[in-house]
Amino acid sequence: MIMNKKVEIKIDDTAYLVNEGENILSFCKTVGIDIPALCYNEALKPYGACRLCVVEVKKGGNVRPGITASCTLKASEGLEIITQTEEIHQHRKILFQLYLAQAPDSQVIHKLAEKYGVNETPFPPKRKENDNLGNECVLCGQCVRVCNEIIEKGVIHYIGRGYYVSINTAYNMPSDICMGCKACAEVCPTGAIQFEDIGDTRHGHSWSETKIPLKQCSICGAYYAPQPFDEKILGKMNPEIEKKLTEMCPVCRRKYMSKKQTAIKENRFSILNLK
Amino acid sequence: MVGKEKNKIISHKQLQDVAGKGLLSLQPPEKIRIAVGYATCGIAAGADAVYQAFEDFIRKEQLTDEIILTKTGCFGFCKQEPFVNVVYPGKPLVIYYNVAPEEVKKIIEATFQKDVFLEKALCKIEHWNHHTAELDYGKGFEQVPIWNELPYYSHQQKVVMRNAGITNPNSIEEYIAVGGYKSLFKVLKNNLSPDDVIDIITDSGLRGRGGAGFPTGIKWRNTRKENSETKYIICNADEGDPGAYMNRNEMESDPHMIIEGMIVGAYAVGASSGYIYIRAEYPLAINRLQRAIEQAREYGLLGNNILGTDFSFDIKITCGAGAFVCGEETALIASLEGEAGRPRVRPPYPSVSGLWQNPTNINNVETWCNVPVIIEKGAEWFKTLGSQNNAGTKVFSLVGNVNKVGLVEVELGTHIETIVCEIGACGIDDNKIKAVQTGGPSGGCIPAHLFDTPVDYDNMKKVGSIMGSGGIVVLDETSCMVDTAKYFLNFSVDESCGKCVPCREGLKHMHEILDRITKGKGKSEDIDLLKVMSDTIKKTSLCGLGQTAPNPVITTLQYFENEYIQHIEEKVCEAKVCRELTSFYIVADKCTGCTLCAKHCPVDAISGQAKYIHVIDQETCISCSSCFNVCPFDAIVKLSGESIDTPENPIPVVKK
Repeated sequence: MIMNKKVEIKIDDTAYLVNEGENILSFCKTVGIDIPALCYNEALKPYGACRLCVVEVKKGGNVRPGITASCTLKASEGLEIITQTEEIHQHRKILFQLYLAQAPDSQVIHKLAEKYGVNETPFPPKRKENDNLGNECVLCGQCVRVCNEIIEKGVIHYIGRGYYVSINTAYNMPSDICMGCKACAEVCPTGAIQFEDIGDTRHGHSWSETKIPLKQCSICGAYYAPQPFDEKILGKMNPEIEKKLTEMCPVCRRKYMSKKQTAIKENRFSILNLK
Repeated sequence: MVGKEKNKIISHKQLQDVAGKGLLSLQPPEKIRIAVGYATCGIAAGADAVYQAFEDFIRKEQLTDEIILTKTGCFGFCKQEPFVNVVYPGKPLVIYYNVAPEEVKKIIEATFQKDVFLEKALCKIEHWNHHTAELDYGKGFEQVPIWNELPYYSHQQKVVMRNAGITNPNSIEEYIAVGGYKSLFKVLKNNLSPDDVIDIITDSGLRGRGGAGFPTGIKWRNTRKENSETKYIICNADEGDPGAYMNRNEMESDPHMIIEGMIVGAYAVGASSGYIYIRAEYPLAINRLQRAIEQAREYGLLGNNILGTDFSFDIKITCGAGAFVCGEETALIASLEGEAGRPRVRPPYPSVSGLWQNPTNINNVETWCNVPVIIEKGAEWFKTLGSQNNAGTKVFSLVGNVNKVGLVEVELGTHIETIVCEIGACGIDDNKIKAVQTGGPSGGCIPAHLFDTPVDYDNMKKVGSIMGSGGIVVLDETSCMVDTAKYFLNFSVDESCGKCVPCREGLKHMHEILDRITKGKGKSEDIDLLKVMSDTIKKTSLCGLGQTAPNPVITTLQYFENEYIQHIEEKVCEAKVCRELTSFYIVADKCTGCTLCAKHCPVDAISGQAKYIHVIDQETCISCSSCFNVCPFDAIVKLSGESIDTPENPIPVVKK
């Protein structure tokens, strides 16, 4: 396969020369075309679940003309798409109304919907009691995908099917493989995933109260990083770093390093002086 | 193993030797052959007891030297199961219907007298065209009609079901006796190249029988084109449409046909292993396929160096865990890989990146079934069946409110009317037929005034439905169209995988709207809301399930909007199906005071005593129909949107 083969595509009647296979949603963002999306993340494989990023394919390549998600659309020679039409707005409106009912307590969703002119929903709210994600989850799957694809831990996954899908740990039991890296919380578009550090433990409130021990700084005694995550990262260091450094919190480490630097410099000066 | 090696078929003579063995059991020269229809439908109707009765009788009367007792698949007329077919040497094959265990003796006695037990004889077969072979049974039994003189069969064309109900599905020898594995022989031994095979399939115009109707030849070519060492083929046997069971019957009645089709397909696309993905709810089909695979291996038709050539291929069976969405090809592949059955975006199509990212060709059971006969008889022959761009036949399961339910195989392009009114013999109790629902939850309802529509991929689409995998549910005036739409939508809600929002959330809300309409709580804006939601779900869903799930609602709105309006505005359900809109009343001058209704009422809503006219308390009544069903005097009426005068309290019955 030839890499970086350029193809000409048309978006909203403007021609662009782009790499073949380039992700259309991602490209639209770079040229300032506004398309809402909840499940798309450049670090993850395109998933095509939130459907907000729909565009209309006019013609082109190997794609059937019609409404399709732009996050799973790839650039091919002659592809022509339109990002704004009455029909797209109508579909998006319904989708936002569905999201407003699905995640009734999410301020992010309310604001996003508002931005696209949707302030209310005709559908009854799907408010679950004791929802582990605070009725803010839209099931975009970013957390599941980051944990499986990138972190390669698979702590969380979808449970159930259809309307009753939820995301949690296996059997809704505290996980013993979660490293507490919080990548899931980081990618969550609605901020639904809750972690809290209390004393020597990180509490994954959203994930069946999974508990991850925190590592204590050998100098100041502060708890600074989840132990299993720290071990994984240190295990990847090559060459290994000074053992002392592996037991320090970032603050103490910085102090220690700057002291050491000063010492080296002074040492250097003293050598110079000798000369 | 050494013993089994000897069995391997390499030469044409060896194939014929096996065929000879099969023929001996199909048409034993000096014995009577009695075969009990033993597919799931037959078993459900009591075939087990019938088989047992034959077995007991034969043992008791010491007839084992005179009678061969065996099992066959299903002859397609579900209403008349259990079926038994009897062959007396030189006489026509006689098919008995609705056989009860106590009739076994009479059938055997009649047969021994070279006669027929007329009371239960449905039809006879003097000559049978297996298409891959022809069998003559003999003439006689003038009182019994020839099978295709019956209105049920006269419009049918048995190509896929050519062996069903005649041969024993557990016998590879019988399959070979009726021309089985001849196509494979032709392909591998007559040096047809993979491209030649694909050309034949392309020329034949065969389209995917799973419902989408994609040309099979093109699909095969796409997989063949891919440059990859590992390729797979898959048989999609995850049949799940409510009321559809064509594939089950094909697998149960003639498993070798599928296996032969798959071997030919594997050779054409260049695959060395194949999977049959079958729903776990089909244990008998799984059992028969498994046995067929083992038999094919023993004869060297599967495994290494098939028929002594360089070509090697084998098949594994994988069971689905009960998810409808796994019939969607990308979800099916995910499920095969051990992942949850959730569809992914196409392209890439499986022909480019399928099972474990390798090029994969997936076809439906019935598509594979068509392959051997096309290879054997040729593309031109196949094109003589069916209509323009819709070559061949299609098996439909005709169910619902129709007199003759069963599996019907007709040429594509046959009109709905022929299927429903002539083959199915119209509605039960002379009820007027209102519509047919085709294509399962992805399909739509076609109203009676469009019954002149030819059943094929293109015409069904034109009227808003799809042909789908072949389910035809007949709806008559006792069916409520809003309730029907709700039923199918409920199915889709249950079976949605939950990945994309329009299908996961949208369908559920649509179902809730339909639910409130059927409960008389619909709002006037609901119809418009259903329309815009249907449109969005259809256009924005990720996979075929979501994209087609609103079809039952769209088509019922298109053809039966008046019923929706009646439910919403007048609170009337004309078919009297929707409970909340239906009331029951006891007609005073018909009630005899027998108390039966009151005894059966689960909520004690009926007051009265012996010889008193009973009265239903409308507040307490839950419209369960129990009283209506038990009243021996037809004194209870079911009404929607109207009421009749009844006494307020029970009063003595006035003797006339």
